[in-house]
Amino acid sequence: MGDSQKAILNILDDSSAEKLRIEATQKAILNILDDASAEKVKIEATQKAILNILDDSGAEKLRIEATQKAILNILDDIGDERDKADHLNSEMAVEIAERKRVEQELETQQQELVNSNKELEAFSYSVSHDLRAPLRAIDGYGRILTEDYEGYLDQEGRRLLSVISSETQRMGQLVDDLLTFSRLGRQQLQSSDIDMTTLAQAVFQEWSALDAYRALQLELKPLPPARGDRALISVALGNLIANAIKFTRNRDPAVIEIGSRQENGLSVYYVKDNGVGFDMKYAHKLFGVFQRLHSTEEFEGTGVGLALVQRVIHRHGGRVWAEGKLDEGATFYFSLTDMKGEL
Amino acid sequence: MNMETLIEILLVEDNPRDAELTLRALKKRNLTNTVMWVKDGAEALEYILGENADAQRVNQHPKVILLDLKLPRVDGMEVLRRLKADERTKSIPVVVLTSSREEQDIVQTYGLGVNSYIVKPVDFDNFSEAVGQMGLYWLLLNQPPEPVSAAA
Repeated sequence: MGDSQKAILNILDDSSAEKLRIEATQKAILNILDDASAEKVKIEATQKAILNILDDSGAEKLRIEATQKAILNILDDIGDERDKADHLNSEMAVEIAERKRVEQELETQQQELVNSNKELEAFSYSVSHDLRAPLRAIDGYGRILTEDYEGYLDQEGRRLLSVISSETQRMGQLVDDLLTFSRLGRQQLQSSDIDMTTLAQAVFQEWSALDAYRALQLELKPLPPARGDRALISVALGNLIANAIKFTRNRDPAVIEIGSRQENGLSVYYVKDNGVGFDMKYAHKLFGVFQRLHSTEEFEGTGVGLALVQRVIHRHGGRVWAEGKLDEGATFYFSLTDMKGEL
Repeated sequence: MNMETLIEILLVEDNPRDAELTLRALKKRNLTNTVMWVKDGAEALEYILGENADAQRVNQHPKVILLDLKLPRVDGMEVLRRLKADERTKSIPVVVLTSSREEQDIVQTYGLGVNSYIVKPVDFDNFSEAVGQMGLYWLLLNQPPEPVSAAA
């Protein structure tokens, strides 16, 4: 064996070593390739994750945008609402100011009414004292004249003095009536339940006592109860009954009927007589103060009675009216509203 | 004025016409011998309670005081108040004789202890009758209280 064989064996050794080296290098390269591919997979995975995160943040961004939009809308609405509220507030402020002004005015008017009433009271008081005294003096001195100078006076003289006396009486009556009228209009109403039948009976008894000698016939129908100021209603009824008695003076028998009927759910009371009656064309004058449809020669009176009746009835929120026919009697009607809760 | 004369009626009236009519009505009943007329509240108080009133006068009270309400200087209500508030004079009968029919006057005077309240009628016959009856009642029919002697 020679050198060639050794050389070939060396070359074979070298090539096998080379082969091993190449195999090792191949292995290493394969390992590197493996690592690289694993790395690639990792990178791909990371890429995917990053893409997912980007996707999520995109969706999140949209959500945030939507929320922002919603918040902006709400803020807008709140702004609108506040504007509306401000507007309402200023409107209400104006209304409140107006209402306060009206209240103030009412208070002032009320105070004026109270003062006015006080003045009327003082006036009545003064009238009460000061007007009656001179009347008494006129009447008194006239009588003294008649008494002490009887011998110097003929029938005509005595008649003239009696006129002075009767006129003075009349004025005294007028003063009294006016005062009553004025007071009735002012005093407080005291409401209670009233048995109208017994009241009418009592009032008639009172007023007919003065004419006991006459043939007075009362037809009293059962009357529905009323609610109001008993004293005032008594005065109103009294005046109506007194009138009926007065204007039936020339009748025998004098028939006075007191009854009631229903009108639209309200009780309407009436006092009817068979007396001299009146002409309907003067009906509108009946209730005026001092208005009369007869002369004092025919029938005495001051013309305040019916005005009193009207005042009382009106203060109860009711109506009063009359129907009549000359020489055929008259009927006076009145209604009273239910005063429950008002007094 | 005779200090011995017993004054039975003290008339407190500022209006001379009303005074004359009252006196005339009393005269008709023979009651005027012993009437003393004063024209306002101050004079009345002076007469009954006054510092210048002599002891005898204070001792012998009138049987009745006719008192008008509307008087100058001191008015009737004040006279009434003073008379009824004073131990020496509170038992003297006081009759208010006035034009006023006002409820407040009636209530107030009775509150102060007035013995009677008469509204002067406008009609003279009625007035005369009222005064006459009142005079007869207080001077003849009514039993007066024992005169109260002033503090010595």
